Amino acid sequence: MIVKNMRRNIYIFIVIISILSTGFVRSLNLKSPEIINILMPAPFAESTENLVETFNKENQGKVKIKITKGPRETESVSDLAISSLLLGNSPFDILLIDVTWLPKYAAANWLTPLDELIKREDWDSLATGAKLGNTYKEKIYRWPFTADMGLLYWRKDLMKTPPKTPAELIAISKKLKENHSVKYGYVWQGRQYEGLSCVFLEVINGFGGNWLSESNDVQLTSKEALNAAKWLRELITSGASPASVTNFSENEALQIFQAGDAAFMRNWPYAWAELQKEESSIKGKVGVTTMVSEKNVQPTSTLGSWGFSILKQSKHKELAYEVINYLTSKDAQKELYLQYGYTPTMQQIYKDNDKELINSANILNELSNALSIAKPRPETPLYAQISDVLQRQLSSILTTDKPIHEALEIANDKTKIILKSAGNI
Amino acid sequence: MIYALLILPALVLIFIVFGFPIIRYFWLSIHASSVLTGLTATPNYGANWIRLLNDDRFWLDTIQTIRFTMCSVLIEIVLAIVFALILNQNFRGRGLVRSLSILPWALPTTIMALGWRWIFNTPYGPIERIVSIFSTNSINILSNPNIAWIATVFADIWKTTPFITLIILAGLQTIPTDLYEAFKLESGDKLKSFFNITLPLLQPYLIISIIFRLAQAFGVFDLIQVLTLGGPAGSTESIGLYAYLNAMRFLDFGYSATIIFFSFILLSLFCILAWLLINKIRDKYQRNML
Repeated sequence: MIVKNMRRNIYIFIVIISILSTGFVRSLNLKSPEIINILMPAPFAESTENLVETFNKENQGKVKIKITKGPRETESVSDLAISSLLLGNSPFDILLIDVTWLPKYAAANWLTPLDELIKREDWDSLATGAKLGNTYKEKIYRWPFTADMGLLYWRKDLMKTPPKTPAELIAISKKLKENHSVKYGYVWQGRQYEGLSCVFLEVINGFGGNWLSESNDVQLTSKEALNAAKWLRELITSGASPASVTNFSENEALQIFQAGDAAFMRNWPYAWAELQKEESSIKGKVGVTTMVSEKNVQPTSTLGSWGFSILKQSKHKELAYEVINYLTSKDAQKELYLQYGYTPTMQQIYKDNDKELINSANILNELSNALSIAKPRPETPLYAQISDVLQRQLSSILTTDKPIHEALEIANDKTKIILKSAGNI
Repeated sequence: MIYALLILPALVLIFIVFGFPIIRYFWLSIHASSVLTGLTATPNYGANWIRLLNDDRFWLDTIQTIRFTMCSVLIEIVLAIVFALILNQNFRGRGLVRSLSILPWALPTTIMALGWRWIFNTPYGPIERIVSIFSTNSINILSNPNIAWIATVFADIWKTTPFITLIILAGLQTIPTDLYEAFKLESGDKLKSFFNITLPLLQPYLIISIIFRLAQAFGVFDLIQVLTLGGPAGSTESIGLYAYLNAMRFLDFGYSATIIFFSFILLSLFCILAWLLINKIRDKYQRNML
């Protein structure tokens, strides 16, 4: 009897101990940090490494940022993000997304609106250009990380002032080529891909036209659009740009410019940091300005910014927003600008006259200038389609002798059909 | 009856990995499922199919894909027979040459496509450098819609010829040598022995490689995606690339599934046609032999 009781007591003891210990383990679990997982393209993952390390040290035991390093190429990052979202249960809390993905992702219902999290004064602290491209249907879905604008790089050792108008750019390029100062005049992105749409947006606006009007009317058959396309073709036929420009993306253009073989280049701010490296043969000989435009027309810079969005399925939205705040704080922006040339998004940084920033052979004024005239590409969930249609037709204008007006009409009609299918979404 | 039961597990497996996706694609193709419908599938009663039939870009891509497939498979087969014959000879270092010759096939496609992109690069790539010795004009291979597709065929041939060579080499080794000796005794020359012995006996291997390569080349995606992105002027875009664009970039899964299902029908037709053609040639051959 006693033995039986003892055995029962032991059983009860074991049960009590195990209940207690699970509770204990659970309390231990509470102390393990919340993990905020961010997907970034590889270059951004590398440049934010220090910031993330500091954050994780300061918040040890509470919050931990985990960066997932995506591919280098922009669109491959989107493929990865979309695949994970389609399968459901995406492991990410935050995505670092490109300006053109936002309407698509928001329409697919993948992103959390940030309106309730963002403080009014924080929003007001953004530079004008940085405010663009973060909203869809009047809700904010993205907080800008770094602004990116199309810039015209020019060689200070070959000319005193950069060209202002399209005609000047061709004339100077031809002259420099003829007296053998450079092999090529102007290099840009002419490959059939997104870069070509970015180039065209700047040119069509520079001629006073528009891709889409404010009420989303397609304007690719306007006189200005025709002039813009004509000018792009003329760049090649006049010899101002090499014919091989029609297969250039950003890197090919930079390669030629960096080797000192070209007088002008259209590229993003990242090129500046590359051109400042020791191995660059034209270090210190480069100036930066905005894209050329017709007289009395304001030049335009295509906006290509990156920003953080919180996924709808994230379980730590407020914490995620805190992490975003940290990664886009003033100090973080300064550090990223100094080390990697990332364009700051906070207006105050441009006004501060911070000696450290100005002394670093910087182009802060030029960036601020470009950001003030930055223009986002059409903001619709069907942007990828309409850009694809335009790229195809532009590429045929540049590589075949298809009549320009015919190609533009095709692009115009197809864009109209696509936008109509969306029913003004 | 018992045989049918024994192959049942294999049939089920084939259905899961092959039949189910095809049925699913067909189902998706009669639904609208895109960013506009919030990615939920709603029936649209064949609207995708009407769109496909009227989509000139799709038909251009189809023509381009057929052109790419025909050129690369034909040239590959001829080249592979030549290489296999050479590798079947007895010479010193044959083992080394045989293993080296498989290298292009062993490389991941994206890596070799990046390599070719560099080789075709203007103005710094090696081909342009060689051309610049003889002429001041550059040829801009990847910028010219008339020749860019040839560059893609070229890269594809470089990569996949070793694969067919391997199959044909295996076939050559199954042909008994005494056949050739007997033929020689009957005073037949080497060229005739190739047409009368080698080629007929290689037929099963040729059929396998042709059908295999037809299917593979028809679905070409990665090579084009890395080398040209479908440009210039859309001249190198394949059906596979167009289906990918619709699904992953445009988030239009209904239409993408329509493209894929249609190309599945097209490819099946292609393979049946190739099979019939080869059979016919074989019959003719055998009649001649008799």
